Amino acid sequence: MHFIGKDMDQYLSQKDYVDTAVVPLLQLDLSEAGLKSSAGASEYLQSLTALLEKQFKGRILLFPPVAYAKSTDRLRLSNELSIEMKKADFKHVFYMTTDAEWRSVEELKNVLWLPAIPTEHMDRNFKQSVMEDQLRQVLPLFLKEWS
Amino acid sequence: MSNNRVSRRQFLGYTLTGVGGFMAAGMLMPMVRFAVDPVLQQKDGGDFVLTDQRAEDITEEPVRVDFTFEQTDAWYVSEVTNSAWVYREGDKLIALSPVCKHLGCTVNWAGDPEHPTQFFCPCHAGRYEKNGQNIAGTPPLGPLDEYLVEEQDGYVAIGAVRPNTLV
Ligand code: FES
Repeated sequence: MHFIGKDMDQYLSQKDYVDTAVVPLLQLDLSEAGLKSSAGASEYLQSLTALLEKQFKGRILLFPPVAYAKSTDRLRLSNELSIEMKKADFKHVFYMTTDAEWRSVEELKNVLWLPAIPTEHMDRNFKQSVMEDQLRQVLPLFLKEWS
Repeated sequence: MSNNRVSRRQFLGYTLTGVGGFMAAGMLMPMVRFAVDPVLQQKDGGDFVLTDQRAEDITEEPVRVDFTFEQTDAWYVSEVTNSAWVYREGDKLIALSPVCKHLGCTVNWAGDPEHPTQFFCPCHAGRYEKNGQNIAGTPPLGPLDEYLVEEQDGYVAIGAVRPNTLV
């Protein structure tokens, strides 16, 4: 499900089934050198999480990307997010990101880090198959966590 | 003092007009929607989308067939790729929606090794027979929806979705 008004009624009545939160973590780098790849990473992350939502619509609640500045203190952000996430009773929380800095933040559990693939020059069919390939790498991690 | 400075009274006037406008829009909106909606729905449901799946390659074993169309969500037009599970029964093509009737995950044919001739939903282990019939004791409460499907110049074309007619 998406974090939108329409889906919330269903979420609230089916909480036992929708037991997993997915939070995309998105670094904004607006420097001249970083802008383009930052936008590409954003596109990649959002396509991937949208596909994931489609596959697991009835079990996950996909949040909008949490976007933060390059200089943001990841540890602080992760603490604040965890506290907020605990207020809802999810059994599982996944964070998904292309930002390598999260690899050194051990406090945050279940961070799926994926290197972004620039898809802007791909035609539709090719992009679709690349993204589905990416999805196939992620799915088993969810199934494993749930089993 | 410049002439186009907005006096307090004018400002209040503008604001009130603004609020009034909102209220009028609020009253009009339901009526407009009522008038426009059925037309839109027909347009979305009527057409067949040609896929690149050859019809002659379809067997009795369901395969996933993707189809892409443009979807208008308010003012935002986007391309959406959906899929169907397509198989052959006698000389007829059957296309089932992969959307689980429990809470909407995507089901897979033979997704569970223990039930190789059923559709399986990975979210809460929902299962369906090949014709879409939900299996009692698993969470889904109804059969998978069915797509209209036809052959166009040797290729599979997918049409509107409707409730299952096979079970
Ligand atoms: S969404 Fe398919 S079994 Fe729950």
